[in-house]
Amino acid sequence: MATSTSPVPAKALKEWHTPESRTEVIHELIHGVDRYNPSNLSFMEEYLQSQVTNSEYDLLANLAVLKLYQFNPQLSNPDVIIMILTKSLAATVHGPDFNLCLALLREPSAILHDIESEDDTLIAVMPFLENLHELVRSCQFTKFWSEFNGSSDAANALHSNQNYFPAYKGLVPELRAQFASSIAASFRRVRVSQLARWLDLPAAEVPAWAKEAGWEIDGDVAVVPANGDNDVKAGVVKENVELKQLTKLVAAAAY
Amino acid sequence: MADPTAFYEPEEDELLSSLAVPQYGGEGGYDEESYHRIQELEQNAYAQQLAAAEQEQAQALEQVPEDVKRFLVLFHQAILENDLPAITNMYESGWNKLTQAHYQQAEWPEAELIAPLVQNDQVFLTLYRELYFRHVYARLQPTIDDRFQSYENICELFNYLLNSDGPVPLDLPIQWLWDMLDEFVYQFQSFAQWRANPKNKSEDELDMLAEASQIWSCYSVLNVLYSLVQKSQINEQLRAEKEGKSAEEVADIAGQYGSKPLYRNLGYFSLICLLRVHVLLGDPTLALQTMENVELGGGAFLTRITACHVTTYYHVGCAYMALGRWPDAIKTFVSVLIFFLRMKQYHTRSYQYGSISKQSERMYALLAICTTLSPGPSDDSIMTIVKEHYGDQLTTLQRGGDEALEVFKELFLQACPKYLSVNPPPYEDTEALQTWMSNPPPDAVQRHLELFLSDVLAIRGVSNVRNLLKLYTSIDAAKLAAFLDTSASGADAEEDVLQQLMVLKAASRTYGKSQNDGSLLDGDRIVTNNLDFRIDGAMVHVEETTSHRRYAGFFIRNAEHAQRVFNTIHSSPLPSQRRQGAAADKEGKQDEKKTERKPQAWAPKSRQVRVAA
Repeated sequence: MATSTSPVPAKALKEWHTPESRTEVIHELIHGVDRYNPSNLSFMEEYLQSQVTNSEYDLLANLAVLKLYQFNPQLSNPDVIIMILTKSLAATVHGPDFNLCLALLREPSAILHDIESEDDTLIAVMPFLENLHELVRSCQFTKFWSEFNGSSDAANALHSNQNYFPAYKGLVPELRAQFASSIAASFRRVRVSQLARWLDLPAAEVPAWAKEAGWEIDGDVAVVPANGDNDVKAGVVKENVELKQLTKLVAAAAY
Repeated sequence: MADPTAFYEPEEDELLSSLAVPQYGGEGGYDEESYHRIQELEQNAYAQQLAAAEQEQAQALEQVPEDVKRFLVLFHQAILENDLPAITNMYESGWNKLTQAHYQQAEWPEAELIAPLVQNDQVFLTLYRELYFRHVYARLQPTIDDRFQSYENICELFNYLLNSDGPVPLDLPIQWLWDMLDEFVYQFQSFAQWRANPKNKSEDELDMLAEASQIWSCYSVLNVLYSLVQKSQINEQLRAEKEGKSAEEVADIAGQYGSKPLYRNLGYFSLICLLRVHVLLGDPTLALQTMENVELGGGAFLTRITACHVTTYYHVGCAYMALGRWPDAIKTFVSVLIFFLRMKQYHTRSYQYGSISKQSERMYALLAICTTLSPGPSDDSIMTIVKEHYGDQLTTLQRGGDEALEVFKELFLQACPKYLSVNPPPYEDTEALQTWMSNPPPDAVQRHLELFLSDVLAIRGVSNVRNLLKLYTSIDAAKLAAFLDTSASGADAEEDVLQQLMVLKAASRTYGKSQNDGSLLDGDRIVTNNLDFRIDGAMVHVEETTSHRRYAGFFIRNAEHAQRVFNTIHSSPLPSQRRQGAAADKEGKQDEKKTERKPQAWAPKSRQVRVAA
């Protein structure tokens, strides 16, 4: 998720389902029956915290946390839920991650009811994050930023509470990197002014960002390196017959 | 599991249970002369009561048809001897024939009733109850008592299997083992659905639900399945087999339980049941992760039982749908549907045919959804059936718009798994239950429907843009904006179009499982549509990949077919020879003719299969 390499969509899912940053202990935990043991919860929640601080991402581990909440509703922690949703929001533009998290969650009011919490931040924040997710997956990045930086109650809560966005230093760069990967898949060249809107950067800061991402600035456009998606050529798929398919015929001809 | 009170130890307890007590009751009364007279009288009265009950039971046993009694005695015998062919025969045909004859509309006799026939063999009675309740679920309306007792019975059975001293000396046909676990998950699902709705429940039922929160709970069901998996070391076994270890090495890894077919098979089927439970609970990644060591290909073990094969593929396909991996879902459904079409002729008489064909019907509906969301070439014969069954819906889906959304909804509800919520309504708290009922939260199916529809909505504009792009080799974004009715204007409209193009790009890409290796969760980024484009500033360059028509497959198939026909003709006797033979020695030649005809009788069959393929 780091921005040091050029942002492009991942070529394979290995890193998605088994990230390199995952330790052996965590791996054993989420692959065994121990994932149902509530006493591991604090350990798993700590792992989430380290993902947040180190800009790592491990969806399957986070889903294991939500699974524990699903089975032990009285242990649910709204702060952790919000962080997991934010994490999956910033991890992918078109991936299923956010909805996979939602599938394990219930109505926010039901969650709060089970832990007898008076703090109803979750009730405002969950629909807000869902809305952000819809904007992300439909690539309405400009609108996303205006909602994200908006002054709705949910946005205020997320920006002001030290447990949420302020704790997640990498959030905005990670979001930009994800959006950029989506842009990179389509564009060979993109106007700097447009880029500034989509990445929520002042136009003056775009060149610095582009340099970091390995993109070049040519006048008022940014040039995206070819990545297989943004340099497609019309092709012709020819039929390819392999010898294997002909074994029976060749055998018959040998008589 | 609910309570690990050992199943087989109750032999002692058994002496105290309803049937055995009367015999001792009399003696007991006799021994207790030193007790108060009243107490003695009470004892006697109790014993008499029991004796009367026993007599009643004996009379009831008289009522059981002779052929059923004979069947049960033989069935018991076969199970004691672990005589697999006999068990299979009685399980697959005997039981169903007798059901047809006597128990179409009624329960089989209670286990307690037939106990004397089988010397009170508790293991057999537990197995018998398993069949008994399965029959109740399949043909009658299970009451809450049936549900509870069935749960207790199956727990008893699994306790016996898992918590005896060492592996139990029992062997059952794989079909039965699969059915047993399949039914276990089915009854869990049925109970969870029934429990999810507190309306129309009697006071008694509400009370029972309030008290027995552990019955059919997700935890206990998962516990059984995971225990079977662990006991049989099935994951370790499968991994070792994949690594090409020798049979001895695998048996070593399997340990004393896993090396027995009973445990190995139960463990294997438990993995598939876990796949199913995880899908039902809304966790597709965990579902696919559970299957990481299970081979899904053509000759895999799970294909030996059609019901298991179909269930596995259905749930794997559904998991892929939840991950937005439409091509993988399509491939999964198509592969099992082709298999099912081929097998159909042999299966129509199987008692499970009904439920299997229902499940494949659902897969055709899901295919209509998947192929709309990710259009591309797929198997013609299967797509023809999809068009036959869902022609109207497909047209609406492809037209798009709000009507399409309604059809997506309808097809999904008809064909999706029956998702479950982990948490039941708060039965233990009357007040909370009242508030719950006055404002019930959306149920699990509804929530999954919404998630699915959000996937659909995210790419709803895609086909429109794609159709427009087909007309151009390059077009300016502003011009494109004019064709697409965007609400915004000017620069905003252009931005809007560029955003839609990015969505189109993503919708033409997904992750697909690679052919050779990798787990079900693995995937490589693939292109799913022939129409592609790149954007240069505001100029969209359209690139369409054309694929040549494929001929090789057609020619190979037909050349091979011709070869087979030639071989058949070649191996047939010459007509002139036959006439000579008929004159010389009629009988001897007829015999010969019979043997010679055999290959002929075979050929058309194999040809039929080919045509179906």
